Amino acid sequence: MRQQYAVRSLILVAGLVVVALAVIVQIIRIQNSEQAMIFLSQGDRYAGEFSMFYPERGEIYDRNGHLLAGNRTVFEVGVSLNEMRDPDAMAYTLGTYLGLTYEEVRNRLINSPDGWEYIVVQDYVGADTVTSLQELMQQLDDAEDPRLSGLGFKPHYQRSYPETALASNVLGFVTRDGRGYFGIEEKYNDLLAGNPVQVWVPRDPNKAMEIPRVPNGTTLVLTLNRDLQAKVESILDESLSKYGAENGTVIVMDPRNGEILAMAATPRMNLNDYGNYFSLYDNGSQYNRSIGMAYEPGSVIKVLTMAAALDAGTVRPDTSFIDTGSIDVGGITIQNWNRDAWGQQNMIGCLQHSLNVCMAWISSQMGTHSFYDYMERFGFGHPTGIDLAGEAMGRLKVPGDTDWYPVDLGTNAFGQGVTVTPLQMLMAVSAVANDGKMVTPHVLYSMLRDGHQYNVPSQYAGSPIKADTARTLNEMLAISLEEESSSALLPGYRLAGKTGTAQIPTDFGYDTFRTNVSFIGWGPVDDPQFMVYVWLQKPTASIWSSETAAPVFSQVAEQTVILLNIPPDNIRNQLAAK
Amino acid sequence: MQAQATQITHAYKQAPWRVQRQWVGAFLLALIGIAMIAALYLDVTARAAMAGREIQELRFEITAIQRANADLETELADMTSTAAMQRRALELGYRPVKPGELDYVPVPGFSAPEPAILLAAEDTVPHDQSLPPEYSQSLIEWFDERIKFGGFQP
Repeated sequence: MRQQYAVRSLILVAGLVVVALAVIVQIIRIQNSEQAMIFLSQGDRYAGEFSMFYPERGEIYDRNGHLLAGNRTVFEVGVSLNEMRDPDAMAYTLGTYLGLTYEEVRNRLINSPDGWEYIVVQDYVGADTVTSLQELMQQLDDAEDPRLSGLGFKPHYQRSYPETALASNVLGFVTRDGRGYFGIEEKYNDLLAGNPVQVWVPRDPNKAMEIPRVPNGTTLVLTLNRDLQAKVESILDESLSKYGAENGTVIVMDPRNGEILAMAATPRMNLNDYGNYFSLYDNGSQYNRSIGMAYEPGSVIKVLTMAAALDAGTVRPDTSFIDTGSIDVGGITIQNWNRDAWGQQNMIGCLQHSLNVCMAWISSQMGTHSFYDYMERFGFGHPTGIDLAGEAMGRLKVPGDTDWYPVDLGTNAFGQGVTVTPLQMLMAVSAVANDGKMVTPHVLYSMLRDGHQYNVPSQYAGSPIKADTARTLNEMLAISLEEESSSALLPGYRLAGKTGTAQIPTDFGYDTFRTNVSFIGWGPVDDPQFMVYVWLQKPTASIWSSETAAPVFSQVAEQTVILLNIPPDNIRNQLAAK
Repeated sequence: MQAQATQITHAYKQAPWRVQRQWVGAFLLALIGIAMIAALYLDVTARAAMAGREIQELRFEITAIQRANADLETELADMTSTAAMQRRALELGYRPVKPGELDYVPVPGFSAPEPAILLAAEDTVPHDQSLPPEYSQSLIEWFDERIKFGGFQP
């Protein structure tokens, strides 16, 4: 009996072992089957998701810490189609809140492509609208009403410019794809944008450490002075209206280090609405005329002709010149701006009366090699290297070029036949205001990243003239401005400067009725702390710089000394003596 | 007498019920040990999961706060923009100053203050830090570390 029981037990055990082995074999087979691989991959798919982490775009501040470009939160409004219960209610609600038509929204919800689980109804929706929609959803949720089920909001940043159009020509703008265009936004796009990171974000909380931290883009501090920028823009706008000019630009720079304190140009655009770009500008060079548009500057270039001649030893301040009203250069007769003969003049008189004949004589005396060598040293024909996108470099024809003629030696000396940007002129003349050292203009003051500050050092672009030459010419220009009783003068401050009235070249020769008027000046003469360049295009109230650009310079200089805390000369000297 | 006592002890030890009880005891001991380890493992894993979830939520909160911060900063800049400040100043009866109306007072040792944005350039951005091992370590890894680096001190 016991033996029979033992056999039965053994058979039962063997049977169970076989079943157990079969189960194990089946488990192993299923685990390694093709279907298992598919299930595993499906499981992995739902274990997390690939997400692109976009860093917050770096902010832009002026030199005093005023925000010029920041970020604000906007939302992508979308609908999860699987969760949507009532397309009609959804279409009606979204149409009402987002300013869309009921049919448009409904069509997108109903006729979405096959396989789509989520559809974006509208992006860049403001926080106020989203808050209203969220409140409505909450009310419906409280009432257990599923009509807005599936509606979702994804927050993200949008560039915001609190000052709207202020310094728009310098800042540039950012489009919805996150790319910067023009100015600082384009030049430093990579720094500002930071590095987006795409990562697999697991839903497993044990793997939370795998979610990366994405550092924000670099914050930039500019050399611009916001208040001065606003004043300069205001003065420029008033001047365009007052003198009937088409467009204009004004730049204020510190000649000691090349820091751009203000850079105004027209037209300006509201950077929060960059869609109006194409209605304001025909091409990119018009976006910031200070750097993007080269023109024949006229007599302001006489500062450099005189600087070159003094430095080369061709003339001295007291060199005498008999002005007969015309001079022949390269077989072409050159005349003065009023076609008069001004008789005996010294070099200060040549500058004061802005005599073309005198300047053509000076360049002829220097010779082509020396004259063009100096002009190249002043940086003509090359970009200044300013840290703004879209810089033009003008054109300086030199002997050997197919379109250079001997008369160019004479006309270039008074700023015709050569094209420069306003910033190139400012940079070149900075050598005169800064003891012979030419500064590289720049807009970036400092960078802030990961809690560290990197200050941008000032750079010299060479010394085209000697320090003595610069001081001599500085004094000559101050005297010529004073003796001319120029409308550019500012009571209490001794300034140096030069007017420039240039004819405008056309396909049929020079336009005899319209001009470009310019003025370059700086001060205080004994310790230059600011330089100003003014360019007004085609003024109709007067074609002369002395009656248009010069008063604009005076107004800008007045605001500059106030906002930069530069005391009048007598007070400054008293303070220095203490 | 001595031999009889040894014989009785030997017989007791070899009693079948005694051997069975020893097996049952050993089995129960092993079962209790496994249960304790399983409970401990479950506890640690649950705590780690909760901590991980908390970290995820805190990160979402950080992101939301950063967005709110950016919004507030921009809103403040809107309110203190040049146009807004000029309008408010005019409403309060101020007017632009003229050069002759300014008085300059020398202050020995005074230098213009740096803008706040530059002064604030301290290390405020959190660096990428790895979580402490307590939040991610398995029980086996914890035991392994204790054995390798010695001690079970807290």
